Amino acid sequence: MSIRLLALIPVAAAISLALSAAVDAVALPLFLDTTGTILATALAGPGVGIATGVVTSAVNTLRNPTFWPFVVVQIIVALYAWAAARAGLFRSLRTAVPAGLGLGVLASVTSTPISYVVFGCTTTGGIALTTALGKALGLPPLGACFFGSFVSDFGDKAVTFALVTSVLHALPRRTAARFPWALRAIGAA
Amino acid sequence: MTGGRLHPFTLLAIAAALPALAWILPAPTGAAWTATIALALAATRGIRRGLWPAVLTVAPFWVFLLLLHDVPTTIAIGLRITTMVASFVWLVAALEPARLVEAMVAAGWSASVAYLLAATLRAVPLLKTRAQRIVEAQRCRGLSRRGGMAARLRALRALALPLVLSALHEVDERALALETRGLVPGIRRTPLAPPPDPAVEQAARWALLLVCLAALVRRFIVPRFI
Repeated sequence: MSIRLLALIPVAAAISLALSAAVDAVALPLFLDTTGTILATALAGPGVGIATGVVTSAVNTLRNPTFWPFVVVQIIVALYAWAAARAGLFRSLRTAVPAGLGLGVLASVTSTPISYVVFGCTTTGGIALTTALGKALGLPPLGACFFGSFVSDFGDKAVTFALVTSVLHALPRRTAARFPWALRAIGAA
Repeated sequence: MTGGRLHPFTLLAIAAALPALAWILPAPTGAAWTATIALALAATRGIRRGLWPAVLTVAPFWVFLLLLHDVPTTIAIGLRITTMVASFVWLVAALEPARLVEAMVAAGWSASVAYLLAATLRAVPLLKTRAQRIVEAQRCRGLSRRGGMAARLRALRALALPLVLSALHEVDERALALETRGLVPGIRRTPLAPPPDPAVEQAARWALLLVCLAALVRRFIVPRFI
């Protein structure tokens, strides 16, 4: 791995963790905690993306230990983002948003068993409340848990993909060209 | 035992073994024991630094567990989550990142791995401060929390883009700084002051691993043959 890609990993991980300030400022029910993972993958490929996801989870765990079991989700996100970058799905919002919605489904499918087995579906207040809503609607326990994860992940991942697409297109071409995957991800190579 | 003088790997081993045992041992008795030990460890770091953050972090889980499950399930899962949270709160309070980096380098880990953790821990507060400055600047230009979803998403873009782009522009500077300091991937470095790793602690780490494996076998494999 080159020094530039090594330097990218902590920056991308810190982006994921610092974006919460922007989300709080506009009062949106989003996490954006996979932004750095998706961005790093789109810029530099799956190895850097997975490393960013693992580092993000590790540092997040020091703040709140309940994040660590979800490191698997970060790895799945990196692999999905790599497939999206290979297919050039970051070329416009029209292709990125549906890809993000697909990731939302995949992420909720991945996180549901973890949330169910480890935490009894109580990972965050919002997810617990939507799980309670699913239970009130008559869904079985695992179904209610999936409903809770799905509601939180579906929109979040679509917005994250849209945001990463905006970043990739706003990067000067000369800067983008320094990263091995950036131009291919936006369909320019 | 406050954990302050233990080798970083021993601290990590204890913080990993307690939650593992909480999930492996039969609930609620096994998890009650591990939760008690974890809370006692957290308390050794002081009420404000150890016990209080653990209790504050774990309290919402108990509330939501009661909302979603019956009382026996709430107690079983709640004790496991309490063990996990309290042991990590203790770990964060007891573990110095610089000592961990030295220990990792001394153990032969690549300096790059140690750099990733240390650099991220340093970059997060810097970027958070920058994000806050961008939010304040955009508020001066009329950014509002009100409005529909589309307006808020546009506002989010105006906040997130400058933050992410400015962070990406720093990558080259960081790469140059790393190169100047000789942090080439794959190279082995000599630690300046590696933390002492007594044989007793090494044995204790192996013992913890064996206890977890034995509990796993006793819980899931032995019953199949009885």
